[in-house]
Amino acid sequence: MLDRPGAATGPARTGGIRMFILRRILQGLLVLVLVSIVVFAATQALPGDPARAILGRTATPASLAALREQLHLNRPVLDQYVTWATGLLHGDAGTSLAAQEPVAKLLGDRFINTAFLLLCSGLISIPLSILIGAYAALWRDRPFDVATSLITLVFAALPEFVVGVALVVLFATTVFHFLPAITLIPPGGRPWEQPIALILPTLTLVLAVTPYVVRIMRASMVEVLESDYVEMARLKGLPERLVLRRHALPNALGPTFQVIAINLAYLAGGVIVVEYIFNYAGIGGALRDAVANRDIPVVQALAMSIAGLYVILNLLADIATILVTPRLRTRL
Amino acid sequence: MADEPSSMPGDPKDTTLSRRRLLINTGVVVGGAILAGPLAACGTSSSTTGPSAAASPKRGGSFRLGVTGGGANDIIDGQNIVTKPDQARLVAGFETLLEYDEDYKLQTTGLAESVTQDAPDQWTIRVKQGITFHDGKTLSADDVIYSLRRILTGSEGLFGNAGLMSVDPNNMTKMDDRTVRLKLKQADSTIADQLGQYYNGVVPVGYTRSGPQNGTGPYKVQSFNKGQQSVHVRNANYWRSGQPYFDQVTVIDFPDPSAQVNALLSGQIDAMTDIPFAQITVVKAHGGLAVLEGNGAGWLPLCMAIDMPPFDNNDVRQAFRLIADRNALLQQVLSGHGRVANDLYSPFDPAFDSSLPQRHQDIAQAKALLKKAGRENMVVDLHTTDGAAGMVDSANVFATQAAAAGVTINVHNDPNYYGDQYLKLAFSVDFWGTRNYLPQVANGSLPTAPYNECHWPPKGSNYVSLYQQALAEVDTGKRADIIHQMQKLEYDQGGYIIPFFNNLVDAYNTKVQGFRVSKATLNLDSFGHGFRTIWFA
Amino acid sequence: MSVVTPVVSPVLTPEVMSSRRPTGALLRSALGLRRTQIGFGLVLLIVAIAFIGPLVAPHGANDFVGTPNTPSVPGALFGTDHIGQDVWSRFLHGGLTILALAAAATGLGLTLGVAVGLVAAYSRNVLDDVLMRIMDVILAFPQIMLALVAIATVGPNPATIILAVGLTTMPRVARVTRGAAQPVVERDFVAAAEAIGVPRFRILLSEIFPNVLSPLLVEGSLRLTYAIGVIAALAFLGFTTNPGSADWGLMIQENYIALTVQPWGVVLPVAAIALLTVGTGLVGDGIARAAAGIDRSRGAA
Repeated sequence: MLDRPGAATGPARTGGIRMFILRRILQGLLVLVLVSIVVFAATQALPGDPARAILGRTATPASLAALREQLHLNRPVLDQYVTWATGLLHGDAGTSLAAQEPVAKLLGDRFINTAFLLLCSGLISIPLSILIGAYAALWRDRPFDVATSLITLVFAALPEFVVGVALVVLFATTVFHFLPAITLIPPGGRPWEQPIALILPTLTLVLAVTPYVVRIMRASMVEVLESDYVEMARLKGLPERLVLRRHALPNALGPTFQVIAINLAYLAGGVIVVEYIFNYAGIGGALRDAVANRDIPVVQALAMSIAGLYVILNLLADIATILVTPRLRTRL
Repeated sequence: MADEPSSMPGDPKDTTLSRRRLLINTGVVVGGAILAGPLAACGTSSSTTGPSAAASPKRGGSFRLGVTGGGANDIIDGQNIVTKPDQARLVAGFETLLEYDEDYKLQTTGLAESVTQDAPDQWTIRVKQGITFHDGKTLSADDVIYSLRRILTGSEGLFGNAGLMSVDPNNMTKMDDRTVRLKLKQADSTIADQLGQYYNGVVPVGYTRSGPQNGTGPYKVQSFNKGQQSVHVRNANYWRSGQPYFDQVTVIDFPDPSAQVNALLSGQIDAMTDIPFAQITVVKAHGGLAVLEGNGAGWLPLCMAIDMPPFDNNDVRQAFRLIADRNALLQQVLSGHGRVANDLYSPFDPAFDSSLPQRHQDIAQAKALLKKAGRENMVVDLHTTDGAAGMVDSANVFATQAAAAGVTINVHNDPNYYGDQYLKLAFSVDFWGTRNYLPQVANGSLPTAPYNECHWPPKGSNYVSLYQQALAEVDTGKRADIIHQMQKLEYDQGGYIIPFFNNLVDAYNTKVQGFRVSKATLNLDSFGHGFRTIWFA
Repeated sequence: MSVVTPVVSPVLTPEVMSSRRPTGALLRSALGLRRTQIGFGLVLLIVAIAFIGPLVAPHGANDFVGTPNTPSVPGALFGTDHIGQDVWSRFLHGGLTILALAAAATGLGLTLGVAVGLVAAYSRNVLDDVLMRIMDVILAFPQIMLALVAIATVGPNPATIILAVGLTTMPRVARVTRGAAQPVVERDFVAAAEAIGVPRFRILLSEIFPNVLSPLLVEGSLRLTYAIGVIAALAFLGFTTNPGSADWGLMIQENYIALTVQPWGVVLPVAAIALLTVGTGLVGDGIARAAAGIDRSRGAA
């Protein structure tokens, strides 16, 4: 999907922005259908007995038999897929094997919690990294650029659990004590009701994501600043400020959007580690737990929603790229 | 036995305990009446003996407990648990007929006023007067019968089922409103023991897991989110006067013990279970926090299945037992927080045979035995999982020790160990809590036991018949003799390598008063007896 | 490790990738850059520790040397770990596994990705669309999530880790390869080779493949970085291949709990992994910059 702007140069690929968006939406839907088949097939292939996995150490033959009976694990596979897929379309993700509760009920709060954490991280890291990256490119090889390059290199190299633990030690438990070490969201409560507890997990994610976007933004801005049309604009005698805002920035943002979209989607997966460190009640913990419990409906729901998020973000990024990048828009 | 748990050097309290225990033990079966105590004082007796007895208990406050583990498979059930947080949730809402005290002695401080063995195969239970369930209903004989019947219903899959097998569900008679007579299918002297296990809680007639959580316990469930937390509110009509003290108790699941410690350090929880040993110094150095180290008898056995190669040869089993450097295992795996064991479980049982010689590491002898068995330089897989703290480390340290005897052990840490392979493995690690000998045998060392990792006993052994005799024997002395024979069999031929008994090490904020050091099976002095004997200063 | 998983490499826009250039010259020019030199130095250092470490370690990886979790123990330079083993010795022993796993996984991902990318670019028909949509499907799963599911299912053995990380590396490599190969495919020399009847797979290997090598070098170093990261993160979450063996990823997981008491058990492996990551990053960066430089000079010429 990311190569779309480049590929959009082909002769057969013209037809206006609307056609382009429509085509991208259809492609996204196709990918989602394929993903659903893969998810379903993969989770069906999970070896092991869910009943045993759920009851764990305390399982007895009698309780196993009772649970297996309850789970109806013996229907034909195709039958199960159709039921599952239609259920999904109606917003019904089935019943958790481990919790014996509807998946939607089990994951509803957790989705909101994770989404809010990602939103906060995105809202901070995106403008921040675009700004830093753009300035680094503008002041290329000057102290700011060198410093940025070094710092981003180090933070990109540090595992986020190290960053997270270091932040906890620094601000919550050992050096200072003014921030909560973990995020306790009471059931039914919302993460924004206790913004203080969100600071450390958000900061960890921001530090994990920003360095890479900064580097991409810088690279792409450097590229654009050296391009013919920026040169042309300058030669035409446009003020530098206008050149930057009208010509350089929009064109540099294109590739950056792609990377941001990918990074946000990947946050949804990588948030697993951060949620673990902060005991944050999000989908990361649910995934770990569901995998350990062989809780197939929950694994399926989580995989589908993460994949769905990826597809949607990519779609948005592609559309944003087309809209924001003048040279691509004119080619359509 | 040099390292018999109750004679730990440097702890004078323990020696007195063991003497007291002996005295009590000799008097248990006088007149066949096992446990009938004066009850007038029981409402207050257990709550005022804490180390902080100087401060009198105060009402109020919201107590937050962090428990290691838990997940979407959490349950609340008056008679069952799946995960560790379930234990805390169970004891907050439900109580047993008998209770173990801090010396692991059975007492009638629970719901029963007396539990009597009238004959080898007949027991009579009489419950206290005026105890009510959360919904206001008075506890009666019917509830006791319903509770036992529920445990005995195999399809319920309840933990206590194996231990109460000799109770006949169709032969429980209501003598009067508060009295039940049990006619057993076979003689069984361990019924009282079973009635004291925390998971054999008393539930009201008609109770189901999915129905209202209605117990006699100090707290009622207000909300429960699996894998996250449960909130319990004070039971205003609780039968022990004055108790409980907190207005509210919150039990929070923590998959990561580090997050748990961090939450305690930053004051987001008031107590936590199972503090990682590495963090003990951190917590002790932190003002306002304290460590509670219970001296229970949990154990992490290495289990050799006696009917699977290479362990179907007793020489190999003995060699492996001689490979273990128990003290090194204790120091490395538990940082010393436990006592060395001798391949036998249930050290608090009055019938525990402490005269059997302590096994020590003897690599030369182990090598000789392996040579005799034709298993020199053998390679074997050892399966473990993060089921309880220390299970993976035990396997790794033992594997290192085995290398000295020329044995190569490949350790496998499988996240789905209890799902796919449990009880089917030749060599594995497991975990157990404190339990007396015969109840433990019913759970783990009989052909009918649900968790028999070692596939004990061997074919042709008289172990099972000894077990039946022990159950039928009402004379404690004679029963102890039979139990000694059983333990000797396990000591000589068994499949367990039991290197140590581990202490339960928990931590709490010192604003919480009333925690006591105990031999309880459950963490934090059985969670402060279901959160009723602890309070905020 | 870092969750960010880039798909396009910096500076690798189609314009940069479109020209045919000798890989040797590119590498030489990259090595002239100071960042590449530092990067290579770091990578060499860590690789040297991994290979030579086991030979010079003062203790065996599983020797018990003192009280667990103690920073100052006589005879143990960096103290003891969670079960009283020598942290320094375990560090010296522990590099090979993670390096080998990461290298194998990246190698697998590169091989598969290059194959898919080249075939997709060269096919110029519906096969291109099919292959790339399949790559999209794989891309839709975060690398760590897929690895987590695979490992929790099959068990944490080396093959599973290599397969899971390798397969999730494939689509990213495939995209870069395809992007780099597409302009090459349209070139005259490809048409000429086809005209004189050179077999298509020969054209792929001898004409097209050399032209995508330099973006692949950059991509490869980046992928290696992320493979190391994912494997370390899996270890942190408790999924490692051989419990008990010395392994940097495992060391982090085992000693993370004692971080505030005995930091070395975590700091040493984290530092090694971070230096390795910085090193490969710098090398990739250097190559990318050299490529851009070559292009610019060519454009000027």
